[in-house]
Amino acid sequence: MIHSAAGSSPSSAPARGTTRDDGLARALAAIVGERRVLERPGELRAYESDGLPGYQHRPSLAVFPGSREETVAVVKLFAERGVRFVPRGAGTGLSGGALADDVVLLGLHRLRTILSIDAENVRAVVEPGVVNAALSRAAAPYGLYYAPDPSSQTACTIGGNVAENAGGPHCLKYGVTLNHVLAVTALLPSGEIVTLGNAQGETEGYDLLGAFIGSEGCFGIALDVTVRLEPLPQAVHTLLADFSTVHAAAEAVSAIIASGIVPAALELMDAATIQAVEASIYAAGYPTDAAAVLLIELDGAAAGLEEDSARVSRFCTEAGARGVRLATDAAERARLWQGRKKAFGAMGRMAPHLVVQDAVVPRTRLPEILATIERIGRAHGVQVCNVFHAGDGNLHPNMTYDGNDPEESARVHQAMSEIMDACIAAGGTITGEHGIGVDKLPYMDRLFSPETLGAMCALRDVFDPDRRANPGKVVPMHSCREWHGAAATRTRSA
Amino acid sequence: MARRGSDTHAFRVTTAAAPTDALAVAAAIREARASKTALRIVGGRTWLDAGRPVREESTLPLAALRGVTQYEPGDFTLTARAGTSLGEISRIVAREGQWLTLQPHGSLDGTIGATIATASWGPLASAYGTPRDHLLGCEVVTGVGEIVRAGGRVVKNVAGFDLPRLMTGAWGTLGAITEVTLRLRARPEVDRTLAVTLEGLDDRACDDAGRWLRTTPYRPLAAELCSADMSAHIGLERRTLLLVRLGGNEALVRAAERAVAELGTVTIVDGAVWDRLRTAEPSGAAVIRLATLPAALGALFERATRRIAGIGGASHATIARGVVRCIVPAAHTREEIERLRGIMKDLHAPGSRIAERLPDPLWDELPSAVGDRLSRDVRRTFDPDRVLNPGILDNTA
Repeated sequence: MIHSAAGSSPSSAPARGTTRDDGLARALAAIVGERRVLERPGELRAYESDGLPGYQHRPSLAVFPGSREETVAVVKLFAERGVRFVPRGAGTGLSGGALADDVVLLGLHRLRTILSIDAENVRAVVEPGVVNAALSRAAAPYGLYYAPDPSSQTACTIGGNVAENAGGPHCLKYGVTLNHVLAVTALLPSGEIVTLGNAQGETEGYDLLGAFIGSEGCFGIALDVTVRLEPLPQAVHTLLADFSTVHAAAEAVSAIIASGIVPAALELMDAATIQAVEASIYAAGYPTDAAAVLLIELDGAAAGLEEDSARVSRFCTEAGARGVRLATDAAERARLWQGRKKAFGAMGRMAPHLVVQDAVVPRTRLPEILATIERIGRAHGVQVCNVFHAGDGNLHPNMTYDGNDPEESARVHQAMSEIMDACIAAGGTITGEHGIGVDKLPYMDRLFSPETLGAMCALRDVFDPDRRANPGKVVPMHSCREWHGAAATRTRSA
Repeated sequence: MARRGSDTHAFRVTTAAAPTDALAVAAAIREARASKTALRIVGGRTWLDAGRPVREESTLPLAALRGVTQYEPGDFTLTARAGTSLGEISRIVAREGQWLTLQPHGSLDGTIGATIATASWGPLASAYGTPRDHLLGCEVVTGVGEIVRAGGRVVKNVAGFDLPRLMTGAWGTLGAITEVTLRLRARPEVDRTLAVTLEGLDDRACDDAGRWLRTTPYRPLAAELCSADMSAHIGLERRTLLLVRLGGNEALVRAAERAVAELGTVTIVDGAVWDRLRTAEPSGAAVIRLATLPAALGALFERATRRIAGIGGASHATIARGVVRCIVPAAHTREEIERLRGIMKDLHAPGSRIAERLPDPLWDELPSAVGDRLSRDVRRTFDPDRVLNPGILDNTA
């Protein structure tokens, strides 16, 4: 449990069960309308969790502005009163980053206007609450799309994607959110509005845009986001290769990567995942007796694609694939992908709770780390389902369990901790795309030195000197002692 | 304000040995802090004439921090100490059929540390992006004297706030970069360069080329528009040319060639033109980069090219990035500087205008690159005593 405790706030949100700050609710209602301010426990229950089950924190209040002007007014009111708050998009995050533990939740999903699509300049400007897939749908008539495609893309918002620096299966070839966002108009917790980056994509000076992307709502919120769109690929080949060992599948991944062919996506699912998917409404026709399948997508120009596709197929066969199947039409392709993108959902029906993990290892270490994960799972009697972005070395070892069983929960927790340690020891990291939130906080000390964590805190303090935005997330509070030397001269005025 | 350590003997000269590890760099920075001594960070000395004048009192040489410390070809990542030259890295990874797709304008004697610190890029940025898209992790000694290791060795990483991005392009003013980990790519199976003859210096022809590039499924590795003077300078026919670098398997490159042929007359040229383009600017030249939205690039290229043609200038445009780069010969005399001032005044873009190299007097007339409130506070946080490269991003040394 993470306790948010921003030291220097002039006033803190009232503790649950004590005097509620009725004045705040009334003042917010005056800005956004009474219907858009929730304060009764029953109403707030829907906002107790985000996409990661297992954590429940109730906000003290939730407010949902419907326009840019309302959003600015709300944040300025927070600043005046020293109110701590947690920005939230669609609440699909997988690290507990949008949980508000007795602080105000600021929901931004109503800001869902696509402000412009400039096909000639392959740019779009959107409000933060625009759903990822909605942007690609709107760009499609121009032959364009927005490349980052987190698995939650039918629900997650661009603002949330910016906050998390979201990836997705296709970022293997096309890059993550950072590589596609050109500018953000940011509303800082102080109420100050700043422009980071520009539509041209050429800037000088500090890359504050780069710092803002992935700051998990701790630096402020995006009022609008300018993104680069990509031309839709001329042709797509989707292959499904099935293997009798996970090791062979991992070897095929290494061979494909080493060849220099960059697939648009290269995903691995193990037997436990395949069986979960095939038993669900998302059944995709994966071979249920396989130890692992690779879902491989190649895209781009039609010319040369068949040659690459044949080579990839050969790498799989040489690594021991029992068969490689090419999706013959768009419907089959969509079906193969649905199984992958809904895999977390399919696991959800196996047990009351699910730990969705997210770690990264250097790609050559995949075969070894998968064996280690299996060993750890077995040692603790925990079922691990692996479904992940193999081409990036970005693992998602997920565990289903019953959170109401303290003994099982403890075993899951221990297994997860050991897996994180193994990934760090392999030269990897603790999150590739889901963020730190609250879930990964305990591992930050294992990965970073106190000096590095101190520098991160110091950077946050530039954007949010009062530490009111998404308090208690990303960097452990104990690391946020004043950084050596820096505090003496830092301006704290906004 | 004085400039460039080697010419300014009035200042103290570093007597201490060049640091050979991050701890020694940290000790040097702490000492500089204690004695309020402004340091000029020096790597391979190829970048010293870029950026604003630095008010230095001593140097912090990083050239002794050399060598590749980790390279696993199968991971497509490489870790090198900051003073390692781009040439050395290129040679090492070439043996594995890989390349570092950061090939910035300038000499390969330049160091990887300086490339990241200055966020320098070259023609391959069309396909692969700039240093911010390549840097996976770094070790930096901040102006506070703390050693910070952020990011990592893996290609996807969102653990913690993004200090590597902050250090990229900060010109050393937030910290001295001591080590970097970079993403590598496989050399394409076929790597072919075409020169396309466009009809005259016609902004419509440029725009047609730009539109083609934005929508083509062929994704060239690079596409640069060269003014007639630039074409001649790099050994090609003296006329406006579009250089297109195609990569992929043979079938893809052949199809792409046919598509490119629709833009104009196509000749296959030696790939060495890219090295000549990267090193086109003579020493002491002024270099100004203009950026605009893609659809406005043709007009900007035409305007800029005409403006500098008369005085021996040359220009090229990185179409995918909407950038026109103008190279103007060195200006020394008062008249030459006055003329350059006039050019600067005329060379503005609807987007940004970024000077890479300029004669000292003209720098003072440009706004600070870090004048906004956030940037000032970032600087104060990471280098409270302004000991690192003071003045290089702003004029208020």
